[in-house]
Amino acid sequence: MSDLDKWVAQLRACRPIPEADVRELCHKARELLIEEGNVVTVNAPVTICGDIHGQFHDLMELFRVGGDVPDTNYLFMGDFVDRGFYSLESFLLLLCLKVRYPDRMTLIRGNHESRQITTVYGFYDECLRKYGSANVWRYCCDVFDYLALGAIVLGASNTLSPASESSAAQEYADMNLEVEVCNADGVSTFQFPRQSRSLTSSSDPQPRGSPNGSSSTAGHSSPATGNKTGPPGSGASGSSGGSVGNPAGAVLCVHGGLSPLIQTVDAIRLLDRKQEVPHEGAMCDLLWSDPDDIDGWGLSPRGAGFLFGADIVKEFNYKNDLSLIARAHQLVMEGFKEMFDASIVTVWSAPNYCYRCGNVAALLELSEDESGLGVFARSNGDVSRSDGGQEKGRPNGFDTLEGPARRYRVFQAAPQDSRGMPAKKPVADYFL
Amino acid sequence: MSDLQRKLGKAKLKSAMGDNSLKEVDENEDGDQLSELREVVDDDSSSASSASSTGTIIPSPRQKLFARPEGIPRGRSLEQIPWTTYFERELFLKPPAPAQTDTTPAATPSVEITYHAYLTSPVGKGPLFVMHHGAGSSGLSFAVLSSEIRKRLPNAGVLALDARGHGSTTITSPKPGSIDLSLHTLSTDLYNVIQAAKTQMAWPELPPIILVGHSLGGAVVTDLASRGSLGPSLLGYAVLDVVEGSAMDALQSMQTYLSSRPAGFASLKDAIEWHVRSRTIRNAVSARTSVPGLLSDDGGNPTKPWVWKTDLAATQPFWEDWFVGLSKKFLGARGGKMLLLAGTDRLDTELTIGQMQGKYALQVFPEAGHFIHEDLPEKTAVALVDFHKRNDRSALVLPPKVSDLLAQGKRV
Repeated sequence: MSDLDKWVAQLRACRPIPEADVRELCHKARELLIEEGNVVTVNAPVTICGDIHGQFHDLMELFRVGGDVPDTNYLFMGDFVDRGFYSLESFLLLLCLKVRYPDRMTLIRGNHESRQITTVYGFYDECLRKYGSANVWRYCCDVFDYLALGAIVLGASNTLSPASESSAAQEYADMNLEVEVCNADGVSTFQFPRQSRSLTSSSDPQPRGSPNGSSSTAGHSSPATGNKTGPPGSGASGSSGGSVGNPAGAVLCVHGGLSPLIQTVDAIRLLDRKQEVPHEGAMCDLLWSDPDDIDGWGLSPRGAGFLFGADIVKEFNYKNDLSLIARAHQLVMEGFKEMFDASIVTVWSAPNYCYRCGNVAALLELSEDESGLGVFARSNGDVSRSDGGQEKGRPNGFDTLEGPARRYRVFQAAPQDSRGMPAKKPVADYFL
Repeated sequence: MSDLQRKLGKAKLKSAMGDNSLKEVDENEDGDQLSELREVVDDDSSSASSASSTGTIIPSPRQKLFARPEGIPRGRSLEQIPWTTYFERELFLKPPAPAQTDTTPAATPSVEITYHAYLTSPVGKGPLFVMHHGAGSSGLSFAVLSSEIRKRLPNAGVLALDARGHGSTTITSPKPGSIDLSLHTLSTDLYNVIQAAKTQMAWPELPPIILVGHSLGGAVVTDLASRGSLGPSLLGYAVLDVVEGSAMDALQSMQTYLSSRPAGFASLKDAIEWHVRSRTIRNAVSARTSVPGLLSDDGGNPTKPWVWKTDLAATQPFWEDWFVGLSKKFLGARGGKMLLLAGTDRLDTELTIGQMQGKYALQVFPEAGHFIHEDLPEKTAVALVDFHKRNDRSALVLPPKVSDLLAQGKRV
C-alpha cells in the first residue's frame, strides 16, 4: 500500500495523519496544482459540489450519495474548511484524493481558503488543537494559494443518464428531461422536461415542500407542467438537442461569482492567483460576489465582492458561450437554487450547516454527452455558434443557451451518532 | 574561568534579565506608560556599561538590581482621563415639545428629561458616527474609539449619548427608580438626541449617519434603523457583540453575574483597577476613560462611596424586550449592516444563515472581551471606517448597468 493510499484510508476514518505526512502531502499537492491554470478544464461527466465547511461526516454522506472516488468525478467549489469540527480531516482527505486521482478530482478556491479567514472561523484553532502547533495550518494555507480560481466543464450532455441502474436508459432519453431532483437514495422526486424558454414560468425549478421527502408519487410524471414539449430539434423544444454537435454549452464553476473587472473567462486566466485572497479586485470578487435580483452591479452587504443581476449573468454567458454558471458561497435551505432563467445555479453541500441551520444539501451531476461527436460547438473560446453566427432574436437582450441536463441529488446530514462532537462552549456571562 | 569572565557573564545575565522584565512590563502596560519604560532601559544600559568598564557589580539603589520586575503597582497609572481629551464638546439636549404622538402616552407627560451627549462635529460632508452604549455603560465607552476613528477619517464626527438612567443624562420620574427603559423609548430617545443635536449645532441637514450600538445599544440602533425615521441620511448600522439568541441564553445567568460585581468602590482608582483586573475592560486607557462615567459618589457608605449610577438588576423587566426580534430586525432593516463579535460561537441560527447568505458583514475579534470597542479601539475603528467607506454613497461608483448601455446603443 502506498503512502497515499494509507493516508486516504486513515483520513476516511476521520483520523488526522502525522504532521510530517501532511507536509509531504501538501508539497505534492502544490506541485500538482501549480501546473493547473487559473481556470481548470474539466470534461463531463462530473459531479459539482458546493461548500463543505469541515463537516466531515456529511462529506462521507456526500460520497455515499454521489458515488465514491474514483468511480465518480468530483469538482468541489471551495470552502472546505472552517465552522465545522473536522476542517482538517475534510480538507486533507480531499487533497489526498486530488493527489491520488488528479484527473478525477478538481478543487477550486473558496473565500475561506485564506489565512485571514481561517484564523477567525476555526481552521487555525483546529490545527493548533490537533497538532499543538500552527505548522499544519501553514502547510495548508500554502496549498490554498495554489488552488485554481474556477473551472470550465465541457462536453456535458443535454439529456440525462439514468439516476440509478434500475431505470431504463431509453425511458430517460424519451422524456427529454432538463432537470431532475433525486433524494439521497437515488429516487427521483421531481422532474422538469425541457421546454421552450418563452413558455417557462417555472424555469427555476424550486421544489416546494421538502425536496428530500419521499414523494415518490411524483414518479415519472411531470409535476411541473402538463405542457407537451416537442421532440428534440423541433421549435417547440427550444433546443437543438440531437442535432450536430453538443449544444449544451460550457459550464463555468467559481466559488462566488462574477466581477466587474472580468468580462471574459480568459481574463480570469490572466490573474496572478498565487497569493492570499486580496481585499478587493478581480480575484476577491470571484470568491466573494453573489447574484441578486437587481439590475446591474450592486454593493455586497458582505463587505467584499459585489452583487450582480440577471443582465450581468446573461451578458457574461452570452459573451463567453456559457450555458450555465455553477457557484457555491451562499447557504440555500433547499440545497440548490437556479436563478435568472437557469443561467446561474447555487449549489450548497453542507447539510444542517454549523450543525444547526436545518438545511439540506445538494450536489449537481452533469452527465457525459454520448453522441460520440466529441465536438464542443459552444465551448468557451469557440466563436462559431451553431447558427453560423447569425444574429439571434434577443428578447431579453441576450439569447441564453439551453443549459445542460442537470440532476440534483439532495441529501441530509449524516446521522448524529456517527460523530463525536466537541462540547459546546459556555455562553458569554455578560451580555447587556 | 577567570574572575573577569565570571563578572562579565554575570553582567550579561543581568542585562538579559533586565530585558526580560522589560518585556513583561511591556505586555502588561498596553503601551500607555512609555516614559516610564524608557527609565528602565536607561538603568540597564548604564549598569551594563559600568560592568563592562569597571567590572564591579555592586547593587546600588539606583540600579535596583534586586528589585522585583516592574509590575502593576508602580508602572500602571490608574488615573482617570477626562472626556475633554476625546470630544470637542458636551451637549445638554431637551426632547422636542411633547406634541409627538408616537411615544408611550403614559410616560411622556410627567417625565422631565435632559439628554447628555458628547459630540465631535463632522467636518464638511463628513459622516457622523452615532454611538449608543450598552446597559450600565455610558457614552464615554466610545471615547477612545472616537479618537481612533478620527485618526483614520479626520472629517468624521462622533455623537455619543448617555441613555436615560445612565451617565449624565438626567431624568425626573414620578416614582424614583422606575425609569421606562423599553426598547421603543430608548430608540425614540436616540432619534430625539440626533434631531436636537442638529438643531443645536445648526446643521442645515442631517449628515450621513452610521449608527453604532454596543450590546443593548446594538438593539437600540437596530430598532431605530428598522423604523426608518432617519430616512436616507442613514448609511448603515453596526452592532457590537450582541446577538439575539446568545443574549437570551445569557440572560438566565445575568443576575448571578451582577451579584458577583462589587457594589461600591473606595475610589475611582479602585473601580478602574477592578475593571482592568477582572478583564471586564482589557485596555487600561479605555478603562481610565470610561469607568468614571459609570459611578457616582453618593456619600452613603463612607468606606465605599462610589456606587454604580445604573442599577442593572432593576432593569431586568426590560431585558427580554430589548433582545426579542433583534436578529430579524437586523437582517430586515435598510442600510449597510455590520456585526462585530468577540467570538463566532455567539451567532444564533438566524444570523448564521443570514451570514452565509451574504446579508451582512461580519467581523470577529476573538482576542476581545464583551467591550470590543474598548478592548480593541484601533481594530474597531478600522472596521468602522472601512464599513463607512463601502457605504459612502458620495464616493460609490458602480459599473454601468447593461440595460443603460443597451439603451445608449452600445454593443455589450
